[in-house]
Amino acid sequence: MAAVETRPDTAANGRSDGRAHQIGRSVPRIDALDKVTGRAKYTADVHLPGMCYGAFVRSPYAHARIKSIDTSEAEKLPGVVAVVTAASLRQDMALVVEEEMHATRMAQRLLPGVGEKVKYHGQKVAAVAAVTREIAEEACEKIKVEYEVLPAVIDVREAIKEGAPLVHDETQPVEAPEDFPFVDRRPGGGAPRLYNVAGQNHRAEGDVEAGFREADRIFIDTYIIPRVHQTYIEPQTTIADVAPDGSVTVWTSTQGHFAVRSNLANSLRIPLSKINVIGMTVGGGFGAKFGGIADTYCVLLAQKARRPVKVVYSREEEFLDARPAPGAVITVKTGVKKDGTITARQAWALWDTGAGSGGCYATNRVKGVYKIDNFKVDAYDVNTNKPAPGAYRAPGAPQATLAGEAQLNKICMEMGWDPVEFRLKNMREGEQIGFKETLKAAADRANWWNRQKGPHQGWGVAVGEWTNGAGPASAVVSVHEDGKVHIFYGLMDLTGTDTAMAQIAAEVLGVRYEDVSVSRGDTNSAPFGTASGGSVITFSFGNAVKRAAEDARKRILELAAEHLEAAVEDLELADGKVSVRGNPEASVTLAQLGQMALRSKGGPIVGHGSFASEPSATTISAQIAKVEVDPETGQLKLLELYNSLDVGKAINPMACEGQMEGGVVQGFAWGLMEQMRYAEDGRNWNPGLLDYRVPTALDFPDIDSAIVEVPTKNGPFGVKGIGEPPIVPGIAALVSAVADATGVWIHEVPLTPERVRFALKARQVGVK
Amino acid sequence: MRQFIELQVNGERYLIDVEGRTRLLDALRDKCFLTGTKEGCSTGDCGACTVLLDGQPVTSCLVLAASAVGKQITTIEGVGSATDLHPVQKAFMQYGGLQCGICTPGMIMTSIAFLNENPQPTREEIRFALQGNLCRCTGYDKIVDAVEAAAKEMASQARIGERTAGAPA
Repeated sequence: MAAVETRPDTAANGRSDGRAHQIGRSVPRIDALDKVTGRAKYTADVHLPGMCYGAFVRSPYAHARIKSIDTSEAEKLPGVVAVVTAASLRQDMALVVEEEMHATRMAQRLLPGVGEKVKYHGQKVAAVAAVTREIAEEACEKIKVEYEVLPAVIDVREAIKEGAPLVHDETQPVEAPEDFPFVDRRPGGGAPRLYNVAGQNHRAEGDVEAGFREADRIFIDTYIIPRVHQTYIEPQTTIADVAPDGSVTVWTSTQGHFAVRSNLANSLRIPLSKINVIGMTVGGGFGAKFGGIADTYCVLLAQKARRPVKVVYSREEEFLDARPAPGAVITVKTGVKKDGTITARQAWALWDTGAGSGGCYATNRVKGVYKIDNFKVDAYDVNTNKPAPGAYRAPGAPQATLAGEAQLNKICMEMGWDPVEFRLKNMREGEQIGFKETLKAAADRANWWNRQKGPHQGWGVAVGEWTNGAGPASAVVSVHEDGKVHIFYGLMDLTGTDTAMAQIAAEVLGVRYEDVSVSRGDTNSAPFGTASGGSVITFSFGNAVKRAAEDARKRILELAAEHLEAAVEDLELADGKVSVRGNPEASVTLAQLGQMALRSKGGPIVGHGSFASEPSATTISAQIAKVEVDPETGQLKLLELYNSLDVGKAINPMACEGQMEGGVVQGFAWGLMEQMRYAEDGRNWNPGLLDYRVPTALDFPDIDSAIVEVPTKNGPFGVKGIGEPPIVPGIAALVSAVADATGVWIHEVPLTPERVRFALKARQVGVK
Repeated sequence: MRQFIELQVNGERYLIDVEGRTRLLDALRDKCFLTGTKEGCSTGDCGACTVLLDGQPVTSCLVLAASAVGKQITTIEGVGSATDLHPVQKAFMQYGGLQCGICTPGMIMTSIAFLNENPQPTREEIRFALQGNLCRCTGYDKIVDAVEAAAKEMASQARIGERTAGAPA
């Protein structure tokens, strides 16, 4: 590999004790060379002999009943090799997708048939494979589908009302608590009824009524957050090939190849042992690549075509028929005393879960990281005529945190309290928890206590909590005859975790990071590994790799003890060799030991490590923004951005900063510009990157990132999972900064110029 | 209608058959087997498919293959090599200017063209130049760091080059 230096500011990290530590160094990603030279192989780059291309017939309506499907013209088209409709599916097949950790889970018909309904614009009705993509698309146009168009329901507040169109005809109304805010009381009393409910979450701690009675002031606010798309730059892509015995090989862009294997097995009723999933380099996922979008249909086409089939989603298909983050309407009620304590908090929420479910549990995060004895939640997943949602980086947390944190800032403004002081006063504390350190770090970097602002400028602060998940992980670490170390496992690397694993193994084995290589096995060859979601990987695989490296280290020391005729306790392993303490002349290199091992009784040097699940400690991201509002146009400009994150232990500070900065931009972008928009008839209005704007380099200033290290005892070297928390507090910080600049609280995001100007005009702020 | 055309890519000649509607992106990926150039949107909005046409960055999803005949096309495969990386490639590695990597080839092509035009840019100028290339992982900071560092490295190489050129034989 070409010599590329460690980033200069961290090159000397971890050398305080005189040893060249491998963790704490900002080394380049282990896959960086492949990626900067264009050599990294993504799924779309794979081409198999005889490969065909898939395309879909999609519903042009948000809600309609299928009267007929005629595929005869398409099947006659030369070059078409497979046409799949509901009629070709087995009765026991259903689309099953379980996202590990945060399970939005779904089970629905793979394709709707005659007499059944399409439930959102862009839903798949039929799939075609042909020898070219153009022929597949032409065949789709020749499939005639007759629809009876039905009224669609788009807004969750309409969907819960009696008489609203039912997305799933079989859904029964549910009774909500008497105080539920989004629905009219029933004449004659009784609990209000909610329609189109797909799931519910009720939680009660303490006694909120008593808490509100104790309060000096009570605040009630409602926040509206839109659906957004994860917008990974690489669209969903899969290739499937089916052998004559029915066994299936899948090349795919996924966060979890084992998750894809089980989802395919459950959906298509294929035995697990007959599916091999090869996880290719992934071009971004952010929660949306657990399968069920392209892969399941690709396998169906390949089964029918008996040839390899490739499905590459277009960007438009991404917006019409993937699994975006759910929108939400959240009302939060908070009671405070004049002494700055919180007496009670209550939240009611409707989550826009389209044709699926998943979201309402995240309402619990409205509570935040504060000591609140009395807390209550009543929340519902509500069906609308939109695609089912999926995970997006800390699923549900940015939405709930907007409500929780923006309202706290509003309370501080009204009560004359400093929002950082107020938070520090009320934050939970505990062993392994670094909430206060993290908030103070961001505040210090922002010079919060002496902050300045000009006209139309304002500051906003918010914190967002997240605890990494833990999942089963396993790794094999080998030392080869040249003394180099190799890690083998079933880890899907998205964020740089392969690099962190190499650093961990290097640290344990006393070699340089540059002497460690990593390879990922497919599901047939690698031991099971949990999917890369839920901030789980560096914590869980880190433990597995550390254990595997320690296992290999044990074997190395045994071999060396025999060779050097010394006791294991007297040996030290560093700089690629084992030596006898106090006698540096007596030493043997890892390369020599690697060769000796091949002729030894015990055989090659191999260590194995497995990890199941142990609890981690929670973490927060704290973010502070300074914005400027142009009162004439409503345009916002981000002037300064600070963020801090308790990472437990930074294995690679540069990679930690990368997670932090990427998350900050995604969070703020949700507040600034991103929104999936739907017309009244339910059709998606902005299915492309021109109309669905994601941030460019020009939309953001430089971001100041402060890494805080409060270790957790179960993490390798104290590591906490960090992929998700940085997206959590951004929307709340942004909304609060705009309020600080203008005195106007805007309760609906994104803060488009139009919305900001309208809000300012309504309050007569700065409008001529 | 299919016809044969000749493309000059990374200094090599490719004789390929295309249709009138074939995009340069598909010609490069499917006919020349140069898959380093990525497709993210097919509407010119994401910049992942950026290549250089006579030194100028273009989104190859919006260029017809036939219209690139007679021009010098440079793709990521034509930039540096594993043993002799371009300073922009090195800087992206060293400064963490990439994560998932799908935007990286396009980012690097745009950066190289930009630094040729503006060898001593400010950070704001770098952000302006990269606004046609979307990245969803990094938040852009580290990409800006990388381009800034590459500019400095290229300037210092140029100075060494001048000194060497001016040295007495």
